[in-house]
Amino acid sequence: MRSLGLVLLLAACAPYPQRVRQPVVIPNNSTVEATSGADAAFSSQMEMQRLRASADSVFTLSVSNCAPAHCEAIARGEVSIGMSPDQVMASTRSAPQAWIIRRAGDFATMVPAVPSTKPYDRMGEVRMIQMERGGTSVISRRGPQGIMVVSRPQDGTNQALARQQAELLVREGDDLVAANDLAGALNRYDRASVLDPQQPEIEYKAARLLDLQLRPQEALMRYQRFLLSMDLERIRAQGDASAKMAEAIALAQQRIVVLEKQVR
Amino acid sequence: MLGARATLAALAVTILAVSGCSIRRVERIDPNSVTDLSGRWNDADSRLVANALIAQSLEGRWAVDYAAANAGKAPTIIVGEFRNRTMEHIPIGTFVRDLERAYITSGTVQVVASREERGEIRDERADQQTNASAETRARMAREQGARYMLQGDVQAIEDSEGRERVMFYQIDATLIDLETNAKTWVGQHKIKKYIQRRRFTP
Repeated sequence: MRSLGLVLLLAACAPYPQRVRQPVVIPNNSTVEATSGADAAFSSQMEMQRLRASADSVFTLSVSNCAPAHCEAIARGEVSIGMSPDQVMASTRSAPQAWIIRRAGDFATMVPAVPSTKPYDRMGEVRMIQMERGGTSVISRRGPQGIMVVSRPQDGTNQALARQQAELLVREGDDLVAANDLAGALNRYDRASVLDPQQPEIEYKAARLLDLQLRPQEALMRYQRFLLSMDLERIRAQGDASAKMAEAIALAQQRIVVLEKQVR
Repeated sequence: MLGARATLAALAVTILAVSGCSIRRVERIDPNSVTDLSGRWNDADSRLVANALIAQSLEGRWAVDYAAANAGKAPTIIVGEFRNRTMEHIPIGTFVRDLERAYITSGTVQVVASREERGEIRDERADQQTNASAETRARMAREQGARYMLQGDVQAIEDSEGRERVMFYQIDATLIDLETNAKTWVGQHKIKKYIQRRRFTP
């Protein structure tokens, strides 16, 4: 009797696999209909139609009473200074639902309602619009090197935007120099000097970097270009060269003498 | 002599009976029916995955959010790679095509030709530039760029003991913003199958 009990106990504790006792969700020979997605898409379709209609009416409204400069900007798809919220929406071809507008007295800000899908204008992704007395006063766009801000009509030109981008590239180059990535920094300075050729400081930074990397011929050319772009005669005549620039000019002139001897 | 004839007759009857058992039977059945034979991935699984992913993606907010920022326009997607990470042969194209069809017919999403498809299209367009008449030739550099790419994979976990086997499939689909790499939508469907092989079949 005791041995029978022991056998039963062993049998109960044996590591048998657990039997599956779950209800069947889809039995064999049943039917699973293929869906066309029409039901699932219905609410999205309705909402998209509503958005299209609302974007169209905003566009019509903003074009009906715009100043010639703003009308041209809307046609180009470009947000410009002085535009009303409707005109901003028309320029970015967006619906009011794409924006959150916060108002405080005469001031207001427009930011994208959904962070993942931001409105775009011809210049790029619009991150924030600041408004003063109903008109756009500051436009912030995301550029490849960071946020680019436009606060005056002349800042919105291609040259001004290129200048801003060059400034951001120079900043990135300075960070790379600090991180000891000299090749990366030189790449940024080169790109910046193409975008903004009127900026002698970029040439000077590139020359210093090449000099440090023991590339005398290229450094020499860059120092010379820096001095040429400084328009020394004008600075001398005006006598208002800053102390920092004067130091840079002196150093560049010294280095040219040294490097010319080395290169020969 | 009589015995030999009887044996031959018996043999013939046996051969006829055995060959009669292997006569093939073919019937047309409903393509939507669930017919599980081996327990491996089949058409019903593909349909279940397609239905689930269609519902999840079309009910999601991503297309509407895009439309709000783009004057109510439908977003454009391109189908990227769907990887089969299982040991089984799984034809991915069946449910991916179902998904594409649902996107296009719903009108809420536009789909552009995938990397494999567009090669042939580009060849034809290039050919038209020299061989087609000016008023009928397709113009170059007019392709529509996609904003999102649909990628995904199928993974499986198998567990078996004796005559019992459990197959678990997980299908993940992701929609990635081509500009920012942000994952805009993630869809998932799971299928679990219990397969039991009986000792005797009726």
